[in-house]
Amino acid sequence: MSVAGLPLHPFFTPRDLPETLDLLAGRAARGEKTVLLAGGTDWFVERHVAPPETAGTLPLVVDVSRLDGLGGISLDGHTLDGDEPGGDTLHADTLRIGGAVTYLELRRDARVAARCPLLAAMARDVGALQIQARGTLAGNLASGSPAADGVSALAALDATLLLRSVRGARRVPLAGFYTGYRKSVLAPDELIEAVEIALPPAGAPYVWRKVGTRQAQAISKVALAGVAVVEDGRCTRLGLGMASVAPTVAFLPATRALGLSRPLAGIAPGEIEATVLADVSPIDDIRSTAAYRRHVAVALVTGFCEELKRR
Amino acid sequence: MSVTLTVNGSLLTLEAPPASRLLDVLRERLGLTGTKEGCGEGECGACTILLDGVPVNSCLVALGQCAGREVTTVEGLGDAQHLTPLQEAMVTEGGAQCGICTPGMLLSAEALLREKPAPTDGEIREAIAGNVCRCTGYQRIVNAITEGARRREVRP
Repeated sequence: MSVAGLPLHPFFTPRDLPETLDLLAGRAARGEKTVLLAGGTDWFVERHVAPPETAGTLPLVVDVSRLDGLGGISLDGHTLDGDEPGGDTLHADTLRIGGAVTYLELRRDARVAARCPLLAAMARDVGALQIQARGTLAGNLASGSPAADGVSALAALDATLLLRSVRGARRVPLAGFYTGYRKSVLAPDELIEAVEIALPPAGAPYVWRKVGTRQAQAISKVALAGVAVVEDGRCTRLGLGMASVAPTVAFLPATRALGLSRPLAGIAPGEIEATVLADVSPIDDIRSTAAYRRHVAVALVTGFCEELKRR
Repeated sequence: MSVTLTVNGSLLTLEAPPASRLLDVLRERLGLTGTKEGCGEGECGACTILLDGVPVNSCLVALGQCAGREVTTVEGLGDAQHLTPLQEAMVTEGGAQCGICTPGMLLSAEALLREKPAPTDGEIREAIAGNVCRCTGYQRIVNAITEGARRREVRP
């Protein structure tokens, strides 16, 4: 039992969400660090590569992986009567996913598959089955890696995060969540309770492309998530999220603005290339080079735009 | 602090630090050394076990997260005298080479066959995508799982 002093970490399993929030509030007030542990797919890896910590400064590990208040997937909407056209089908606009819902739950959920296939595709690709079975959206968001597949998909969907503390709940658009590399507006006494997505209409075109060294497990060199609503050759909604091309997951604001500015047929490939390159700031690192990432970023977005033009 | 969980069908109460990796507890406290440590970072799948029937990397699970849950390791499948049809097929089809990935492969395959008794090649490959074979003998492993599925139909 050797890894970075793991056995020395104090560990606690709270009964429910209120107890978790009380605990977080008390510890934050005393300046004590707390680790909320869900799937552990980042935290254990960081312990494995990090130098051992001394017992006096070890944070309390709080297991939230099975907390009821962080589970569940729901569609908020209404069910039409059987007599109406499309009767007995759920017409819903908002998908709510509990923070500790795993990728495996996501990809196996029939509602997610039907109404948010981008999320299902990402969940199937984020890692192999063992990672899917443990990893969660809140964990992906809280870790704040710029390579995060889940965050890229949520960026494309312009998700809203429901943050909660004993002080109450607040909703933060994902676009306003990160303040820098692995930095966010999440307060020390807050947790990510759920993610909310205003769904595009069923059948809306989407893209999920992960470029890495192998299908399973690879951390993305570049990944693109995209979703659009196209009416009469023109985007009326366009969301893009890209991993591993900036200090945080990139929203590609200039590229979105270009795509929404006029009919798709009038947008030249050169314009797309220029805006994508303005939107990304990749670096050379262990997984890839800045030059390759720029090339792939342009190719992926151009490919998605070409597909949208054919709709 | 004590943690109560079921390992290979036996209910156990362990006095052990709950932040320990499940992998270390299995190997060092319970002597279940069939579960291997490869990368220790959730990449290779050598430490795959079933947690409530689902394959997970035991290097990424805290013992405390297993309270009240059911853990299955390779020792919980069959033993040398009583191999399961899947284990038998792994032997006869040459699916085990150096052997270090075999326990994890068996558990990933076991979970697959419980859900899909007659998987396609593609389903098998996806199910073991998180298990790295350092001998790169994947085709024989896929053959073994196919053959294991066939034998399970005859003798579950």
